[in-house]
Amino acid sequence: MSLDLAIFVISALVAVFGATMMIFQRNPVASVLYLILSLVGQAVLYVQLGAAFVGAVLIIVYSGAILVLFLFVIMMLNLRSSADLGEPSPPVSRFVKYFVSCLIFLELSFIIRESLGAGSTTSAGIVTMADDSFGSVESVATLLFTRYLYPFELTSVLLLSAIVGAVIIARRATEDELPPQPEKAVGPISQKTNEGQE
Amino acid sequence: MIDYTSASIDFALLGPEIALLASAFLILVTGYVKSLGKLSPGVAFVGLVIALVLSLNQWGNQSSGFFGMVTCDDFGSAFKVIFTLIAILTLLMAHRYLSHKSLNRPEFYALLNISTMGMMVMANSTDLVVMFLGLEIMSLPLYVMAGMARRSPESNEAGIKYFVMGAFASAFLLMGIAFVYGASGTTDLRRLVTDYHYIVGNFKLYLYSGVAMILVGFGFKVGAVPFHSWIPDVYEGAPTPVTAFFSVGPKAAGFAVLLRLFVFGFAYIGLLSDVFWVLAALTMTVGNIMALRQNNIKRMLAYSSIAHAGYILIAFAVGGDSAVSAAMFYLVAYALFNTGAFAVLVLLETRTGCKSDFSELSGFSRLHPYLSSVLALFMFALCGFPPTVGFFGKFYLFSAAIQSGFIWLVVIGVMNSFVSVYYYLRVIKVSFFDQPQQTFVPVTYSPAIIVVLLITLAGTLGLGLFPQQLLDISQSAIFAFL
Amino acid sequence: MTEYLYLIPILPLVGFLINGLLIGRIPRPVITLIGCGSVALSLALSLSLFFELKALPADSRMIEQVLFTWIVSGNFHVSMGFLLDPLSAVMILVVTGVGFLIHVYSVGYMHKDPGYGRYFTYLNLFTFSMLTLVLADNFLLMFVGWEGVGLCSYLLIGFWYHKKSAADAGKKAFIVNRIGDFGFLIGMFIVFWQVGSLNFVDINAMAPAAFIAGGSLITITCLLLFVGATGKSAQIPLFVWLPDAMEGPTPVSALIHAATMVTAGVYMIVRSNVLYMMSPDALFVVAVVGALTAIFAATIGLAQNDIKRVLAYSTVSQLGYMFLACGVAAFTAGIFHLMTHAFFKALLFLASGSVLHAMSDEKDIRKMGGLKKYIPITYWTFLIGTLAITGIPGLSGFFSKDEILWKAFSSDYGHPVFWVLGFVTAGLTAFYMFRLVYLTFHGPERMDDETKSHLHESPKSMTVPLIILAALAIAGGWVGMPHILGATNYFEHWLEPVMASGRNAVDTHALMSTSSNAGMEWSLMVASVGLVLISIFVARMFYNKKPELATAWQKKMSGLHKLLLNKYYIDEIYGAVIVRPTVYFSLFLWKVVDVVLIDGLINGVAVVYNDLSESLRQVQTGRVRTYATWFAVGVVVLIAVFMRG
Repeated sequence: MSLDLAIFVISALVAVFGATMMIFQRNPVASVLYLILSLVGQAVLYVQLGAAFVGAVLIIVYSGAILVLFLFVIMMLNLRSSADLGEPSPPVSRFVKYFVSCLIFLELSFIIRESLGAGSTTSAGIVTMADDSFGSVESVATLLFTRYLYPFELTSVLLLSAIVGAVIIARRATEDELPPQPEKAVGPISQKTNEGQE
Repeated sequence: MIDYTSASIDFALLGPEIALLASAFLILVTGYVKSLGKLSPGVAFVGLVIALVLSLNQWGNQSSGFFGMVTCDDFGSAFKVIFTLIAILTLLMAHRYLSHKSLNRPEFYALLNISTMGMMVMANSTDLVVMFLGLEIMSLPLYVMAGMARRSPESNEAGIKYFVMGAFASAFLLMGIAFVYGASGTTDLRRLVTDYHYIVGNFKLYLYSGVAMILVGFGFKVGAVPFHSWIPDVYEGAPTPVTAFFSVGPKAAGFAVLLRLFVFGFAYIGLLSDVFWVLAALTMTVGNIMALRQNNIKRMLAYSSIAHAGYILIAFAVGGDSAVSAAMFYLVAYALFNTGAFAVLVLLETRTGCKSDFSELSGFSRLHPYLSSVLALFMFALCGFPPTVGFFGKFYLFSAAIQSGFIWLVVIGVMNSFVSVYYYLRVIKVSFFDQPQQTFVPVTYSPAIIVVLLITLAGTLGLGLFPQQLLDISQSAIFAFL
Repeated sequence: MTEYLYLIPILPLVGFLINGLLIGRIPRPVITLIGCGSVALSLALSLSLFFELKALPADSRMIEQVLFTWIVSGNFHVSMGFLLDPLSAVMILVVTGVGFLIHVYSVGYMHKDPGYGRYFTYLNLFTFSMLTLVLADNFLLMFVGWEGVGLCSYLLIGFWYHKKSAADAGKKAFIVNRIGDFGFLIGMFIVFWQVGSLNFVDINAMAPAAFIAGGSLITITCLLLFVGATGKSAQIPLFVWLPDAMEGPTPVSALIHAATMVTAGVYMIVRSNVLYMMSPDALFVVAVVGALTAIFAATIGLAQNDIKRVLAYSTVSQLGYMFLACGVAAFTAGIFHLMTHAFFKALLFLASGSVLHAMSDEKDIRKMGGLKKYIPITYWTFLIGTLAITGIPGLSGFFSKDEILWKAFSSDYGHPVFWVLGFVTAGLTAFYMFRLVYLTFHGPERMDDETKSHLHESPKSMTVPLIILAALAIAGGWVGMPHILGATNYFEHWLEPVMASGRNAVDTHALMSTSSNAGMEWSLMVASVGLVLISIFVARMFYNKKPELATAWQKKMSGLHKLLLNKYYIDEIYGAVIVRPTVYFSLFLWKVVDVVLIDGLINGVAVVYNDLSESLRQVQTGRVRTYATWFAVGVVVLIAVFMRG
């Protein structure tokens, strides 16, 4: 076992482990911390593939900025106890959910396994193979500002609308919106017979 | 091979999008000054009208730019015109409703224009990445708009549910795109068409599963069964003009992309016809059956929108020019009479305490004979009665399907529209034949909503009598495709 | 004049628009003027166009006026156009003629109703739709009219919406008709698919080449179209809506549910006679359904006590005759009966409306009696209508019914069994119609004093249309006298050009060989007239004589009771052997077959759908988790399907 492979296996395991644990946490703070762990694992994979820039960005932007912001928000909202997540589903429907999720997982792993077997040599050949500058700041920037200029600019529009939306949702209530009616805030509208809401 | 990766950075191709974005910026910048904030509906309106004019100007322009990321063709232009018209109608009916519900904030208009811009991006894209971005630009404002009425728990619930389910669907869509990229090394739809022998030969499984997941992502947006379950809750909870926008705008955008992807792009996957056959049959049947037992008109219309999506999905099973132009025709027709029906609901809901339950309509015709006649007409159009445009929409779709031999699908479709009569008719029965259960507060009209009603009414009847023009347009739009 | 053909339907439309848009703003005389005047103008125009058409040589009697091209889409071409040929000429005369009389009648009948303006608005809309239906030169435009008349029927049945039964009846009619429309639409699609056109002239010309005569596709097409006809024309199994439709105002029952709309199915089949001639199997089904409906509805009519319901079942039964005629390829006879039926059934309904008018809206004939002397004009016109429908020689109903019975027996597609069914129906018809006459107009007065004090003859605007219709009910049949009476059958000659293409389509020997068997025709005619007379006599015995005897028996119970008992005994046997089983059977048909089976079936479908809807609603929990689960199930299935492909 070469060192490369060892690093790959370890960091891949860390990434998958982090992602899995993130899902299974009932405490959102713990979830975010596991997500950071997973991203660190992924960053290592990128670096190993020669895309050091992407790896660095992953650490700086996601782990460093965005997720820390998440943590702040979650802690400010005081969502610590699992009770805030609503009641757990009854066992039968929980079983169905696990079962279906497992089926999706199995299908996807089957597809990936088969495809790996089929196209063992290269990718479809449309993509030119990576040269030395692959993943460097320069090549990423070149792509971003030529071929992917349009999607890149669109992303900024997307972020803008996300910011506006967040402001609307999070801003303090104006006078005409007060007082809220907390007693009505229980139970989904659609099915009066069901208690609890997610 | 045409030069589809034209490197030209031609901003003229993006005229309508830029107009919308600029008006949104303007609203956001000026919105916080109180006196200027009042102008924001006007700014949004001007932006939309400019976008409309620019989109009309693009008709006949056949080019591509931004390294193939933007494809300007008549198909896209036609859809852009549809989107702007829908947004204009929404804007006209939203303004007074929002003031009435104390929701009239400048951001709403900015979000409306940004969302419309997202739809345009979708319509003009032949690249999976751009499609995805357009979808998200369209959807994010929608999530916020659904949850705008923060005082109403229903609205909050609508926003959250739409967001969670939307994120779920986007995850699959993204994964599908990744799979397709993995199989082909490209996200360009045209490369996927030209190189399909190679891709299918080597990475069939990869490609197919990617396509399946892309179908999931867009199926969610158009409300195909079984990805439809968010629709009733979101439609009911969201502010009514927003619901009107939801039920036609994103749906039209979703279908625009689906048409590009599945009737032209991935058409070589023979399996698709059967898949869409089942999806169409399921969608229309479930939508119609569920609509039977609803007591709220908005919720009923939500299920009916599922059913109508099912009718349009017939075109995907059938494929071919006539089916696609029929689907386009149907989308326009549906946008007209559905928006009209919602406009009446908006009017109703400007009375305090009204939630568009059926019982609130009882004996409505006694007080408002014209308005209830107009509502009845929209219901007949939804049923597909002649001489409304609803009839021709169904007629084209079904005759296109019959001509390609899809008799059973048509039988299911016609049976479904028969079932649908029952619940649409209930609106008419309640408003015309039932005794008033409460004293009515009369509805007060505003000029804007009268304009909306007149436009939708004229469209519903006029295109029912003279459908040829619209059909010609929808046909020529698809000739210039890709 | 022919360039004004389009004005025939447009005039009532203008009336509808004016009355509808200005509803509540214009005084009643203006409403009346616009409502009746528009139809009167249509009638005048129809008459002049009719004579113009008549002046043309027989084989060029076809005027097609294309207003504009409606849709062109590839090979799909539909024009908005009207077709005036002998068939549609007859129809527009019936629609505008009878329609005009009924409009006039309504002026008197509805004069107290607060919804006067609304009523005439709907009525004009109906006339427009019906004229569009019969004048359409293609299936699509015909369907537009078809839906339009259905809508008006719905609105007018539920006209008195404050009665729950009225609103429900309207809904029932509407929904049952949708089943029919389903067949119509699919049938129309198949015709278009095969022929490539929906224009009637094109279809007549091209259908023989497009379909294989006698093949299964043409049979399916014809049967689907026939499903549409059964819905609109109230045939088994879709007739259930018509009796309930009597909840509407009586002139509406006369116009829509007797004279015009319900005959649209017959018209449609005759219009597409080329298609039907190519499918003997479909013709056979049409004949069977028609004959069964005729006898079935007639037996139910025996047991009804609501004057309008009796007439409603009678309408179903008479429509059955028309379909029987179509089914034995005697399309001319079907249209002939359609016309005479429009006259006498409209007359009967209007006269019954006059009775209700006099009786303060009491519909139960057991609470009537002896009305003859109070409302003589109504009585005599009703009697004329009754004589016409029972087929007394010389009146219109005789000629048309006799022709149908003879064709049912003698046509290549006919069979003696069809004749027997029609024959028995004729007897039953005579019986229940005279039962109605006797119970309503003769015998003791059974109404309460309050009602009695209000008994009065109807105003002129109601009686004059009655008298005109009575004249038509007598003379309307003289245009179609049978050959064996030495007369010329003008009606058959008139419609000949329309039927010729159908016969050419099958390309066989002369199908309508009626010449050879004059003796047989005579004897069948005499037999049916005899049966009718016997039935009338029996009805008289039972519903006119017996109550008098019964009253006498009660008075003189002590003295002559033995003799009377004997007499009563005879009546009892008579009743027990013949009448009561019939009554019970008819009750059985009505209560069990109609109410339980057919209504039950239709309700059952609704219940199943509702249950399905309810259980699906359980799935719609409002929980995102549940939604996501369904979503995921969809994903699993979809990916699996694509993985296999």
